[in-house]
Amino acid sequence: MSMTRKFNSSLLLWLCASAFFLSAVAARSESGDMKLHAQLIWGTNEPKSPDPKHKLVGKELEKKLKNSPFKWEYYFEVSDEKFNLPLQKEKTVNMSKDCAIAVRNLGGSVVEFRLFGKGKLVNKITQPLPKGQILVEGGNADNATAWFVVLKSIDD
Amino acid sequence: MNTEQQLKLQAFLDGELPEREARDVAAWLAQDKDATALLMELRNTRQALGGFEPEIRLPETREFYWSKIQREIQRLEPATPKKEAVPFSFWFWRLLIPAGAAALLAIAGLFAFLKLNPSSNPGAEMATMLADANPVTYRDQAEGMTVVWLSYPAEKEFTANSSGGRLP
Repeated sequence: MSMTRKFNSSLLLWLCASAFFLSAVAARSESGDMKLHAQLIWGTNEPKSPDPKHKLVGKELEKKLKNSPFKWEYYFEVSDEKFNLPLQKEKTVNMSKDCAIAVRNLGGSVVEFRLFGKGKLVNKITQPLPKGQILVEGGNADNATAWFVVLKSIDD
Repeated sequence: MNTEQQLKLQAFLDGELPEREARDVAAWLAQDKDATALLMELRNTRQALGGFEPEIRLPETREFYWSKIQREIQRLEPATPKKEAVPFSFWFWRLLIPAGAAALLAIAGLFAFLKLNPSSNPGAEMATMLADANPVTYRDQAEGMTVVWLSYPAEKEFTANSSGGRLP
């Protein structure tokens, strides 16, 4: 009988410790800030951008975009900004003269992403954005080119 | 003298032969010295062995003697312990503690799973504010990418960069 009690006590201890650990990990995730990277990208089939400040996007992002239905030969980064976003906080980023985004950290890696054009709200999307995944909004631009706003959750 | 004859002498000595055969053996012994010598030897042996058999007399009857032994054996056997009545609380706690702990772990695991696995969260919600945006959503799970393609702005608005011109 004493063996049974001892076993039960040990089992209970381990289970409680495991539950505490899982809860702690979950709580840490819940309370964590997000570090985000927003990019305004121009997609074109021309190998050179008229603006020398533009640089080609990274290979990883290029590969992702080229694997999508929205294919262009070259993707130039027009502007970008990395920022921290605490839980339940919102950050507005001006990507260009007429393009701005507002991002809110809803917790659990879920973001609310709003896109503004000339100060008007164009689109709002709420979705999980764990590290490594990207959220892209895009549209047509002049001369069969395209614009993209890319939001990515990155490591600290 | 063969074995059968020796056995017959033994039976004669023990008085096991029928009367007629006993007479024949007696006649045979009167004529055969070897047979007589063997008979004497057998008789001496029986007497010698018989003298050494201890005769033990029990002070009581056989049945009473063995019943005493039986009672003594029963007395020396360990008594089977009676099963103690197990209280209900013992079973209650014995089952409740592991069950409660397992439930606690399951709840914590579910909680952690929901928080750590964003894909288990409710799916993406999208609201388009401008009527002519006409969004088309493309998801690539393998690449971890969601693309929302908007027909807005019609050509020129987003492509205006910070210096006032259009992209690039």
